[in-house]
Amino acid sequence: MTHRPAALGELSELIVGAAAAAQPLRLIGLGTWLDGGAPVAAEAEPVSLDAFGGIIEYEPGDLTITVGAATTIAELDAVTAAHNQWCPLAPWGGDGGSVGATIATATPGPYAHAFGLPRDLVLGLECVDGTGKVLRPGGKVVKNVAGFDLVRLMTGSWGSLAAITRVSLRLRARPVADQTWIVSVEGDAIAAQRALRHGATSPIACEVLPSDRTAAGSRLLVRIAGNARYVEAARTTVRQAGHAEPSDAGAWTAIRASAPAPSPRGALSDVARALNDGVKRAFDPANVLNPGIMA
Amino acid sequence: MSLAAHLRAIVGDTHVLERAAELLVYESDGLPGYHRTPSLAVFPASADEALAVVRELARHDAKFVARGAGTGLSGGALADGIVLLGLQRLKRIIAIDPERRVARVEPGVVNVTLTKAASPYGLHYAPDPSSQTACTLGGNLAENAGGPHCLKYGVTLNHVVAARVALPDGRVVTLGDEDGDGREAGGYDLLGAFVGSEGCFGVALELTVKLTPNPERVVTLLADFTSIDDAAQTTSAIIGAGILPAALEMMDQATIGAVESSIYAAGYPTDAAAVLLVEVDGAAAGLDDDVQGVERICRAHGARDVRVATEPAARARLWQGRKKAFGAMGRIAPHLVVQDAVVPRTKLPALLARIAEIGAANAVRVCNVFHAGDGNLHPNIPYDASDRDEATRVHAAMKQIMQACIDAGGTITGEHGVGLDKLQYMDALFTADTLDAMCRLRDVFDPARRANPGKVVPVRYCRERRPKGLTADGGRQTADRANTADGLPPQDGVHG
Repeated sequence: MTHRPAALGELSELIVGAAAAAQPLRLIGLGTWLDGGAPVAAEAEPVSLDAFGGIIEYEPGDLTITVGAATTIAELDAVTAAHNQWCPLAPWGGDGGSVGATIATATPGPYAHAFGLPRDLVLGLECVDGTGKVLRPGGKVVKNVAGFDLVRLMTGSWGSLAAITRVSLRLRARPVADQTWIVSVEGDAIAAQRALRHGATSPIACEVLPSDRTAAGSRLLVRIAGNARYVEAARTTVRQAGHAEPSDAGAWTAIRASAPAPSPRGALSDVARALNDGVKRAFDPANVLNPGIMA
Repeated sequence: MSLAAHLRAIVGDTHVLERAAELLVYESDGLPGYHRTPSLAVFPASADEALAVVRELARHDAKFVARGAGTGLSGGALADGIVLLGLQRLKRIIAIDPERRVARVEPGVVNVTLTKAASPYGLHYAPDPSSQTACTLGGNLAENAGGPHCLKYGVTLNHVVAARVALPDGRVVTLGDEDGDGREAGGYDLLGAFVGSEGCFGVALELTVKLTPNPERVVTLLADFTSIDDAAQTTSAIIGAGILPAALEMMDQATIGAVESSIYAAGYPTDAAAVLLVEVDGAAAGLDDDVQGVERICRAHGARDVRVATEPAARARLWQGRKKAFGAMGRIAPHLVVQDAVVPRTKLPALLARIAEIGAANAVRVCNVFHAGDGNLHPNIPYDASDRDEATRVHAAMKQIMQACIDAGGTITGEHGVGLDKLQYMDALFTADTLDAMCRLRDVFDPARRANPGKVVPVRYCRERRPKGLTADGGRQTADRANTADGLPPQDGVHG
């Protein structure tokens, strides 16, 4: 049976009860990407966080937004597009996943090179930790150094420290001109990608198309954006890199969907491992939130 | 052997200070008004020496405060009867990798020194606190420092790739991924947690930071306004139009007056109610369209005049007044309260009006000089701490301004850190459970609470969690004493 807490208090009670009973929980955003991370204990009871959705606060002039964690990337995109803005989060995977899961897994996307990783875009959170405490670190303003940074700690913690229920994000104005090109390059695609990214008129995204990895040449998917004159100059650069054909923004949805699920796994030194274990004990002492997922 | 003798054995006799007259230098940081004297000060010359010092301090169970150049504006680097660990001798730039656009540096490297070293490669270190000619990268890391150009390029957090850290107990760990892009190879984002931890989580021995390509072209504009409200509205209009300037700074009439009557005079119009300093940079292509866009928006919002500077010398002159504004305020009065609140950008006009009201009601002189594009206010109040009446009025005004910023959905510090000075506002901003969680995180890095005790989170929120066998206070810094600046009464915080 899947738990579906409808409000913050219920979620907190659920976690407190699980901790007391040593009952592991499996936090689920919208369930679009459950194969990332290590398997959670088989006896874990699923907890859907889909009740924590909706746009909570959006003042376009501030270029910030606060949304419920279950808000989909597609919703975030639609709401901000109405004000000619966007959030460069656009994670690998697609637009059907939730903002909360994107932050919890710190999944970047093709715009991370230009606009930053999830940790660079998230301003504040509301979350419930493994002791049932509701935490509200960070804020909704674009610069904030008040207190120790629980926002960065929770971002990429894969639901193993807290269940994220609300997220405040940084937005950007949509560029006046925005073009996507497919560029056929000869030789080393990674070198071509690097040259474009390091150029004066660098694209906001530049990815090697995966289908071409075995071909003699490679194709790059390139997005250039800015004011009209900038994009004109950037287009000249792109054409110099190889044969360029116009594409459309839909190509980005496709390439994002083709990416493999992210994973928190990586080597840690003994001291880093000890710190990680210490963090887990500090925020989820009963080890009930997604146990084992970071292993 | 005493602790001092052990430390001398590591760093040499001349690099341990114990005499009161020598320690006097270290009793303040960049924020006048707080004085705390360390028990001794020790200055290692290398990462190895620094690590040996940290281990010696651990062996003696000695509390300590790490310090860079002491330019901080929150009282964060003050050591109250405990050891001060100065890191400014660790000033080696270990390597610059122009291909990967990163640099490996020791924590005592001065911010602008790295930019100078990177310039032959067409690169620079982007975060540029106003103290960049003096402040160290280790201090920047500890405070998550900002600066005018963070509007476009991001704060320190966004530019640190990895840090090799001595934990307070003497263990060494590399946080982040030296070969990566600012995210652990695995595990939690402990680098993100460490950046801005104000010296409470350990001592950085080495940093790997990103270098940013120099823009092809830079244009600086100075727009002057007869109304501060017009200037504030212009700020929102520029950002709203989709132009992201490299920097967007505001100075009010009081600040302009202080700057123009100092040696840092930049030629600002002294009769203006406010000036905006706007810098647009990037690729040459299309840049002039953004410059014209900014100029048009300024004029449409009532700017009397817009000066455009493209030559480095002319641009530097426009910037000089802004970068030296805090120093210029030193001419007005011996003490200065420096605020660092951030509000949502659209609330700036209302907040500036409210700050003016609060200043008038308390008969204090508020000088506003700030990062308008980020909504990061610096309402500064020069005062004389020996005048009890004035000090009390300054204190009252300060609390009211901070409360107004919190009420507007803002925060109490955007780039200076909490240190001692803003402890009193923490419980108006965060719930008790959130503050407790911050203490839990600190205890992972420093369970004995020996690194910069009594800072960032009010002591009372950490008491209940104190591990067994440790004494109840964090050094001599109790919450009451820690919150008290010279001439000001003990502070009881603000309540939202």
